[in-house]
Amino acid sequence: MPITILQPSLAPPPKLRNVDSDSDSEGGADLEGDVAMGRPAKRARTQDSSIMTPGEIITDDPQWMRGHGTYIIPGASSNTILSSVAGTLAKTNKLLSVRPLRARYTPEIGDLVVGRIVEVQAKRWRVDVGGTLLAQLPLSAINLPGGIQRRRTETDELQIRTFFSEGELLVAEVQQLYNDGAAVLHTRSLKYGKLRNGVFMSVTGTGGGGGVVRARRQAFTLDISGTDEVSGSEKIDVLLGVNGYIWISKHIEGEGAAAETSGPGITRIEESVGLNVYSSQNDIIPVDTMREIARVRGVITALVENGLRVDEEMVIKGYAEAVEMAKEERDSADTLWLGGERGKRLANALVGR
Amino acid sequence: MPLDTSTYNLALLRVDGRRWNELRQQKGQLGVQPSADGSAYLEMGNTKIQCIISGPNERDLSKSTSSASTAPTSNGAGATVAVSIMIAPFATVDRKRRGRNDKRLQEMQTTIASGLAATVQGQSYGPRSTIHISLNVLSQDGSLLACLINAASLALVDAGVPMTDYLVACTAGSTSSYAAADEEADPLLDLNTQEEQELPFLTLATLGATDKVVAMVCESRVQLTRLEGMMATAADGCKGVRDFLDGVVRDKGELMVQEGAIGRGEVVSSMDLD
Amino acid sequence: MSSTSQHLLLSPAELAYLHGSLSLITPGPIRPDGRSPTQFRPLTAETGILPGTNGSARICFADGTEAVVGVKAEVEKTPLSPYEFVASTEGRKDHTQKKSGSRKSKKATGDEEDISMDVDEEAAGANDKIRGSPDWVELSVEIPGLRDDDSGTVFLTSMLTEALLADGEFVKKLWINRRFHWKLYLDIILISPPLSYPLPLLSLTTHLALLATRLPRLKSEADEDPMFDDDWAAATFLYPRQDTSAKASNKSSKPSSAAAAPASRPPITLLVMAVGDNIIFDPSKEELAVADSAVAVSVAEGPASESESEPEPESIPATTTKRNLQLLSVRTIDPPSRLTPPGVPNSVNAAAWGTMTAATPTTTTAATASATEGGAAKHPDARVTETEDVVGVWKAPRGGAKFGMLGAMVAKVLEREAASPRSQGAG
Repeated sequence: MPITILQPSLAPPPKLRNVDSDSDSEGGADLEGDVAMGRPAKRARTQDSSIMTPGEIITDDPQWMRGHGTYIIPGASSNTILSSVAGTLAKTNKLLSVRPLRARYTPEIGDLVVGRIVEVQAKRWRVDVGGTLLAQLPLSAINLPGGIQRRRTETDELQIRTFFSEGELLVAEVQQLYNDGAAVLHTRSLKYGKLRNGVFMSVTGTGGGGGVVRARRQAFTLDISGTDEVSGSEKIDVLLGVNGYIWISKHIEGEGAAAETSGPGITRIEESVGLNVYSSQNDIIPVDTMREIARVRGVITALVENGLRVDEEMVIKGYAEAVEMAKEERDSADTLWLGGERGKRLANALVGR
Repeated sequence: MPLDTSTYNLALLRVDGRRWNELRQQKGQLGVQPSADGSAYLEMGNTKIQCIISGPNERDLSKSTSSASTAPTSNGAGATVAVSIMIAPFATVDRKRRGRNDKRLQEMQTTIASGLAATVQGQSYGPRSTIHISLNVLSQDGSLLACLINAASLALVDAGVPMTDYLVACTAGSTSSYAAADEEADPLLDLNTQEEQELPFLTLATLGATDKVVAMVCESRVQLTRLEGMMATAADGCKGVRDFLDGVVRDKGELMVQEGAIGRGEVVSSMDLD
Repeated sequence: MSSTSQHLLLSPAELAYLHGSLSLITPGPIRPDGRSPTQFRPLTAETGILPGTNGSARICFADGTEAVVGVKAEVEKTPLSPYEFVASTEGRKDHTQKKSGSRKSKKATGDEEDISMDVDEEAAGANDKIRGSPDWVELSVEIPGLRDDDSGTVFLTSMLTEALLADGEFVKKLWINRRFHWKLYLDIILISPPLSYPLPLLSLTTHLALLATRLPRLKSEADEDPMFDDDWAAATFLYPRQDTSAKASNKSSKPSSAAAAPASRPPITLLVMAVGDNIIFDPSKEELAVADSAVAVSVAEGPASESESEPEPESIPATTTKRNLQLLSVRTIDPPSRLTPPGVPNSVNAAAWGTMTAATPTTTTAATASATEGGAAKHPDARVTETEDVVGVWKAPRGGAKFGMLGAMVAKVLEREAASPRSQGAG
């Protein structure tokens, strides 16, 4: 079928309130067809609803401290803490914060992020990491080619575009935060650098329901030899940026290719690795690997579309499930496609619904 | 079509069968647009609005939204709120195409932007970021400004932008026209187009359920003595709207908790406090 | 799925990968979202969402682009023409075909002037004085963030208008009598920011809205001032619904003169692109970014028989067996791939492999020196590699689309369209 048409999600029908509001004399507004949920904010916290909404009083006990997503009325001497976003309450010792249901990515130090260069300046790059502000990557925070540690020279500044230019993708770590929440990145590790041999996709980052969450591991390798068509032991790297930017690529075993061309010797290998970080030339990628990369991307899309979280466990489980699904319907041609109903089936299988 | 005030006095029912203090039927939905940072759809009677939020992010303001009205939050220390309104040509009974620089639109944009800027706690984003609010009016049947404010409020909650409270708005009118020269007249809540054309009315925006007025717009002539009643009625209507919006947000949040998309929240109970 | 950058920015490595996976021959193209080459993006569709309009529709693609279309009709007085045209049906057909043929070879380079088709001349006198004029339809497109006179908006407007007016049949549906006609306003609004090229979305939404469009039933007769039935339930569809059973369609032959072509449907414009030798339907924005060429093809489904206004129900044949597809227009779209920056092959990349062939650095300082060399002074090989294809390095496509490719794309569209019944959105 060339066009898949999904059922539109309609607004929930208004539930009629059972209260007999026949008196039209006294003040107060009546809602015609009011929703049953419309209870006054002040009473809400005593009920079992765990959702906080803006303007709702969380507590007026002076013991608590306010964290993200909360505020106190300035000037007033009261200790009342109110919620400023809609979300769920989190307690860390005496610190109260409200995690929003959905928000843009807010960087934290140590986050592994995938970013895209949007601007090249004299001594730094400006990087889109899906946050409220652009992150920056100073020239001093990258490994320069030709050696792990060396001084930055003027020549490097002049040819800043040869390292990263506009549009290029990189993986980096958040090193530092400014007061306004802007992040400073660094790539001073062989794990970080320019991305190639794969596809990019973006989902909502941390802070949103359904999306990439901060986990023990953000990057992992998937073994795709499970599918019987794949010959050899190809692997796929999946890089789940905490900011919701995802990179799925062919796994490159060790630095084999690099060692070959630059001759033997330990120092040589080290250098070559540093050099390879700035390559924008793809290796030759087997067709099977390309197909499995597309499958992994489909799995992640299905997870997001069905409101499930995206982490290592879910992706691996989802991928195994997708491979199973593809095996079952061997004869139909479009087994890669995981949208619409197929995505729902996959998600249901994952959460056991 | 004139509003038959004599009929109103007999049955105390308005042209669409409502009583004086009844809001129209409302429908609301959060997150209607997967690609946006925040989105909402709001219906109040036959006024239907879709609001799309992008941001807060760093984007060149001058390039894409030249006709948007902007207002800085937190006295310039926080993110900027940029509002642009688009009224679909088919929104009104008679098709009418409005230019982007329509003065009426500009005025509404400014009112909404400054109202929201007073409510949004933008200091956590820094002055370089902007919250773009784009409002699409698909169908228009009175209380337009109020509905736009409510829709924007709902979408901001969806975008996870911190706010002091919902900014809610409602209209209130008066049952007799200015020309009738009555010193006293019954107030009416939440006017539709037909009533708006006939009667004096005002739009009042309050901060949540409190009686703190954030914005008030009154463009018709009305006896001063009637004003207080109208304002009180509108403020009551705002409470009703807030309850409704809050319900929509809670429904959505509870659904997300149920589906496991977000973790269950903790509860601050008196037992924790020893 | 949101990005801070308004323009689609892709890295050379991404472009090279996408181009590589889309131009695969043996298993066919592997699309990043796993769709088959002819598969469309899934969508949600609703019709009749706005009671205040004659017809309305909303479509939301899974990638988040969303459009709303509202159709409004007004009765307008037809200015009496000083002369009457009498042209034969045959002549009109020939003319239309010639037009679409000539358009095929024409490059759409932003000149939108050729929409002023002389449909009124063509259509005049064809069917018992039922005439139409392109002035009776007004179409507007609203794209957020773009000005009304932006070339992109104007281009979209003209392309959609062109498809609608191309066969001259559509405007005839608006004929009331010799003195009056309907003036149809189609307002197309893109709700979401333009994430992908919005043409297919806008066209599909317009298609649905027109299918759902109803006009009040005419009560007056002949050339009287028009009187309409105020019962909305009795209103007739602009494109009469083809009922599943043949009997029902016989019954539904209403006195309205417009209800003559039961099988016809509004035109639809599809976006097709080519990468290598592969033809791909409904490209996403990433896919379009590596397209060698892209074409917008408008097709309409005409009535299966030429006996259009036969009053006898017996003469309406069962049209489900053979569909009469008409190619209305073909326009090439300038793919954004031409503006993408090329990738740097490792052989000339100063920061990566540097000038390895020139000198084999032994110390770190030497490596820096050679890197500087490669960056500053143009390497002799650089010019060669600029024009040569290096595997795994992105290079923007150059030159126009091959004529054979264009023909193949158009043929494929018609083939797909004929094979698949257009699905209708319910809401």
